[in-house]
Amino acid sequence: MTAVSTGRRPVRPGRVVLHLFLGTVAVGWLFPILWAVLTSFRSYEYTAVNGYVSLGGWTIDNYVTAWRTAEFGKHFLNSAYITIPAVLLTLFLASCVAFVIARFSWKLNIALLGLFTAANLLPQQALLIPLFRMFTEIPLPAWMSDSELLYDSYWGLILVNVAFQCGFCVFVLSNYMKALPHELYEAAMVDGANVWRQYWQVTMPLCRPALAALATLEVTWIYNEFFWATVLMRTGDKFPVTSSLNNLRGEFFTDNNLVSAGSVLVAIPTLVIFFLLQKQFVRGLTLGASKG
Amino acid sequence: MSRPRSQAEYLARLVPPSVAGLNRRSLLAGAAGAGALLGTGLLAGCGDSDSGSGGDATSVSLGSNQSDPKPKDVVAKVMDGFKTSSGVTVDINTVDHNTFQENINNYLQGKPDDVFTWFAGYRMRFFAAKGLAGDLSDVWGKLDGYSDAFKKASTGDDGKQYFVPASYYPWAVFYRKSVWQQRGYEVPRTLDDLNTLGAQMKKDGLDPIAFADKDGWPAMGTFDILNLRINGYQFHIDLMAGKEAWTSDKVKKVFDTWAGLLPLHQPDSLGRTWQEAAQSLQQKKSGMYLLGLFVGQQFSGADLEDLDFFTFPEIDSSIGAKALDAPIDGYMMARKPKSQDAAQKLLTYLGSKEAADITVKNDPSTLVANSGADTGAYTALQKKAAELVGSATEIAQFLDRDTRPDFASTVIIPALQQFIKDPKDISGLLTSIENQKKSIFTS
Repeated sequence: MTAVSTGRRPVRPGRVVLHLFLGTVAVGWLFPILWAVLTSFRSYEYTAVNGYVSLGGWTIDNYVTAWRTAEFGKHFLNSAYITIPAVLLTLFLASCVAFVIARFSWKLNIALLGLFTAANLLPQQALLIPLFRMFTEIPLPAWMSDSELLYDSYWGLILVNVAFQCGFCVFVLSNYMKALPHELYEAAMVDGANVWRQYWQVTMPLCRPALAALATLEVTWIYNEFFWATVLMRTGDKFPVTSSLNNLRGEFFTDNNLVSAGSVLVAIPTLVIFFLLQKQFVRGLTLGASKG
Repeated sequence: MSRPRSQAEYLARLVPPSVAGLNRRSLLAGAAGAGALLGTGLLAGCGDSDSGSGGDATSVSLGSNQSDPKPKDVVAKVMDGFKTSSGVTVDINTVDHNTFQENINNYLQGKPDDVFTWFAGYRMRFFAAKGLAGDLSDVWGKLDGYSDAFKKASTGDDGKQYFVPASYYPWAVFYRKSVWQQRGYEVPRTLDDLNTLGAQMKKDGLDPIAFADKDGWPAMGTFDILNLRINGYQFHIDLMAGKEAWTSDKVKKVFDTWAGLLPLHQPDSLGRTWQEAAQSLQQKKSGMYLLGLFVGQQFSGADLEDLDFFTFPEIDSSIGAKALDAPIDGYMMARKPKSQDAAQKLLTYLGSKEAADITVKNDPSTLVANSGADTGAYTALQKKAAELVGSATEIAQFLDRDTRPDFASTVIIPALQQFIKDPKDISGLLTSIENQKKSIFTS
């Protein structure tokens, strides 16, 4: 669709309805977030007396308390321990598979792609019990994890995240790589590049936009991951930041303003990543969609 | 089925019966089957590798659900005390209260800490019966300062002790002394008194009984106390254990009585949290509120001193008004601690007067279970609460601790909320509870 306006056109009712609709959806989308931000800056004492539909009681104490009680400093670091290796590993492994699928045509191509894509459809929860059992049985040396098991170790969480995220990345990357002109590889082969060089020095640099887009998405997803960390971790001090948000809930009493402040803090890294890599992200999604 | 309130809670439901030990009416039949195969084989093999005991351990691990800042600090101080007295360090692993509770099955079947925080009552007996907790009869031989009611609450189905009580809080009817004095209200002794008082409060423009059940569990307190008053402790415990029929006239009478009291309760309770209900009491908009002692968290300074309570009035004179809900929190030992000796030493210390003294000194809002502890620092409210529980003939643990957790959360919570919404169809509701109970307790 091209929207080129050369001068004023009469406003059509359809357009009014469209904008009304878009406006409503946008407000509906932003409202809870903005309200959480607003709430996070207000003291519980004030909102308890005046209700949430009021203004006043401004404070930043919630942020200070949230940071301190939930020990976010430590838990942000835990999240980094899990997210960074998991994203790098996912991208590396997925690009390897995608390269093979896109570059070589052999019998099981479709089947392989199907296998990786189908894994996306598996509900993770259904694998909880077998995985939990496996993890409690797989030993690790003490220098890798003080639990001496895959259970309750960062390694376990990294593995789980890599396993579950690979499918999607393979799917996206293989489609992207298929769009690369085959002549490139022929030229590379003429120049004597082996398969590894074709992968690392020809394909990967060209895939940078796609990798950047995936990295953005994966960081967000793995960082936001809550489920496995809660189930496969036993030591409270090792929880990533999303799971440690629970520390702000009291046994009997939950200060919603405090939880809002904590949630905003936890959301900040994903926002930062998104805004920093926004350009890459959008480019990555559209690149390869049309032939240039 | 009620909607899960958190992701962790949602997950807890997905654990199939064979593994969880809780026979849920699981929709995940497939997963359950797979779990059964894996579960039985691996669980059996699981224990062998752990070595049982070692005499000279220098550290012991503690899984703690005390994640609120104050109790967390107290746990740390108590463990310091243990280190000073025994030379053994305690590694504290704090997991937030709700996650800990919802993950307990996983936790105990994985690699639990040597000693962990847990609750008395059915929830303790349940895991003891599954063989997931260590026998503490030896430790109990060294403990003193506990009443029989506490020992009973620490005893498993097989007659052995599996639990060391640390703290507790009673459920009672709270009110503001100033409001009552000003209006000349008197503490009701019987149900009729309560009704008269309620009518008077209504006339005075107050909501007689503050009430909130958005979270589902506060109404359990009302059910508990009515059942204890109308049918007595033994019936209540048997009902909770699934041994009595919910369709019986006795249970029906509880709901009939409750329906009679509902007009005195704050309306629209399903949209209110207990904090909001407590605030209505604090703001002198309601006359009284049946809740645990933690209601005091919503009061501060002079308001807190103005807070008083009485135990729920007698309904049947042959039953009396001596039983009450007073959930007990405490410690248990894992089935195979790294060092049995160190773990037992720690538990003995946790049950001692010294540990209780440290707790009282550092957290003036708890009531410690050990009667030998120095309670000089108790506030008037705490003293009264301790007396109330001390004089109780029987102590119930609160509905969701006295029965199967799945029954409490998936059946009772929605049923009570349904009742509050529409108190007319009691027999229909009870038939539905009974049917669900049968499938949960027999499966």
